[in-house]
Amino acid sequence: MNKGMSTPYNCAQHINQMMMERSVLAEVDGQVWDMHRPLEDNCTLRFLHFRQSDPYYANKAFWRSASVMLGAVLESSFKDNLYVELCSYPSPNVRSGSFVYDVDLKIPEWEPSKEELRTLSGEMVKLSLAAHRFERLEVDASVALKMFADNRFKTQQIPQMAAQSTSGNTVVVYRIGDFVEVSRGPMMAGTSHLGKVSIVAVHPIETNEAQLFRVQGVALPRGFLLNHFAYGVLEKRAQQMNSGRLPLNISSTEPQTQASTL
Amino acid sequence: MALPKLQCITHALKNLSLLSHPDQRALVCVNQVRAMSRVKRRHTVPPFWLPKTTRTMYPEHMTPENEVFLKDVIEEKYSSPLKTECWERGTWAKNSMRCGLIGRKIGIYPMWTKDGTRLLTTLLQVSDNQVIKYIKPEDIVQGKRKRYRELGALVIGADHIDPRIVTKEYYSVFSEAGVMPKKKMSKFLITPNAKLSPGTPLYASHFQPGHYVDIAGITIDRGFQGVMKRWGFKGMPASHGVTKSHRRGGNIGSGGDKARVLLGTKMPGHMGRERRILRGLKVWRINTQHNVIWVHGPAVPGGVGSYVYIYDSVLPDHRHTQENHPPFPTCFQDEEEVEEELYDQELHTFREPSVQFVEK
Repeated sequence: MNKGMSTPYNCAQHINQMMMERSVLAEVDGQVWDMHRPLEDNCTLRFLHFRQSDPYYANKAFWRSASVMLGAVLESSFKDNLYVELCSYPSPNVRSGSFVYDVDLKIPEWEPSKEELRTLSGEMVKLSLAAHRFERLEVDASVALKMFADNRFKTQQIPQMAAQSTSGNTVVVYRIGDFVEVSRGPMMAGTSHLGKVSIVAVHPIETNEAQLFRVQGVALPRGFLLNHFAYGVLEKRAQQMNSGRLPLNISSTEPQTQASTL
Repeated sequence: MALPKLQCITHALKNLSLLSHPDQRALVCVNQVRAMSRVKRRHTVPPFWLPKTTRTMYPEHMTPENEVFLKDVIEEKYSSPLKTECWERGTWAKNSMRCGLIGRKIGIYPMWTKDGTRLLTTLLQVSDNQVIKYIKPEDIVQGKRKRYRELGALVIGADHIDPRIVTKEYYSVFSEAGVMPKKKMSKFLITPNAKLSPGTPLYASHFQPGHYVDIAGITIDRGFQGVMKRWGFKGMPASHGVTKSHRRGGNIGSGGDKARVLLGTKMPGHMGRERRILRGLKVWRINTQHNVIWVHGPAVPGGVGSYVYIYDSVLPDHRHTQENHPPFPTCFQDEEEVEEELYDQELHTFREPSVQFVEK
């Protein structure tokens, strides 16, 4: 393997097809690592997947990636006359019952019908079938600010995230297809790991600055089969307002909710 | 059966060089069907619009804790302590029709009347009957038969199944009523005053001893049978020169002008597995704890364990009157107390003494 170029995915390619397809995250010297992130030095490599006895990190990465995919869907699904500004998502908590993205649609209220929710779920499925990779890139904070210049929430979050990073002025960005998101934690290997998915509810959130909408969904990894009744129980649970931390308004001095602890 | 009227259209044959005369037309028949003396009596494949009941099972690898949790969810969902919403209950009027029940034939047992006559009765168990849906008279799909009174319908379901093993489409039929999915469903035509709200449970006490019922069921499948069993032919002697025709049908035609085998000639073929209605069976006894009905005779269509549909009898002698009609629209067993065993007046119950000696 080549230092700075080879990724855990390349190592899996050398092993067998099952490792390639099944692996969601890698563990490099005890630290969780993206599958497509280049390895920096000699290390001990382990592959994490959903069917091991304690898939804690894989589940967290899955929930986080689902939030990012939801953000991608929300950005591209609305009519052109609407200016959609993605705000943020809380730290992934599978036990809460739903993955979440908070978005500013600049409309006073939105009560989506069943058909609209089904459309959003369909968009998530399309993204999953497109099988994009979660490509990771570490960039300087100034570059990131230029990339997200049109989003007032991100321009607020980026300096705070850069201050918390190890180097002091870099942030990590992830790309799936045409969508770019700034995030800290590791994501799953690709969008194809998303199986059954439903966007179930939209709750309005009142903040000082803007009226945000918390879009909630629930998903299962690909390959996990579940009967419609049990899945219905999961969907019903996901409709309840997610208890994750609400995004604070722009004028607040507290750091944003992106700080995820693994 | 009269042949269906053939519909022909005139079709102008253009650009056909073979025809000399431009006015020549061709008659094209558009709806000719094979004329059969009997239309197909049995369907081996269910109709296309019927949703599949059970889904293909696949391994879900659920943890035991999750299995227990789901069982609790199902139990909680379908055993609500709240009263189901009750519609206004109608009252009996002349020519009222109330719904029937779906039962299962569980066996045959002898009974004795008070004067010692032995008779055979069939036991029918009514298990988990619930109203699924009420169809208003304007929503009824009208058949060709003319109706002289306004009729609605009630869809009744029997025998619940686990909601996890049914298909989503089948499950959605019951989600509106809020009842557990059922194995068997049937539509019963009713007069609107007999309507019941979805979710209403129906018990054997819907009927009463002394009244008469009609029972519809699918007869036992006897397979391919010869003419002697199927049509009751006498066959031919076992000996005295009879060659190879002991159980055969013999002559099948009359010859002469009608030089063909007439349609409907009785021949060997598939026997049984047909829907038949037996009319005017007396209800002798009812057990309200186990929901069992004892009806007269051993001849209820179907084998033991098969489903039957029990209706109030339509025979003119056994019509209901103002004085002797059963509970209308049904017996609400949850609200009023009902005795465990209900016997017909003429029936001898073994708890009573059969012979009494009077000391002089």
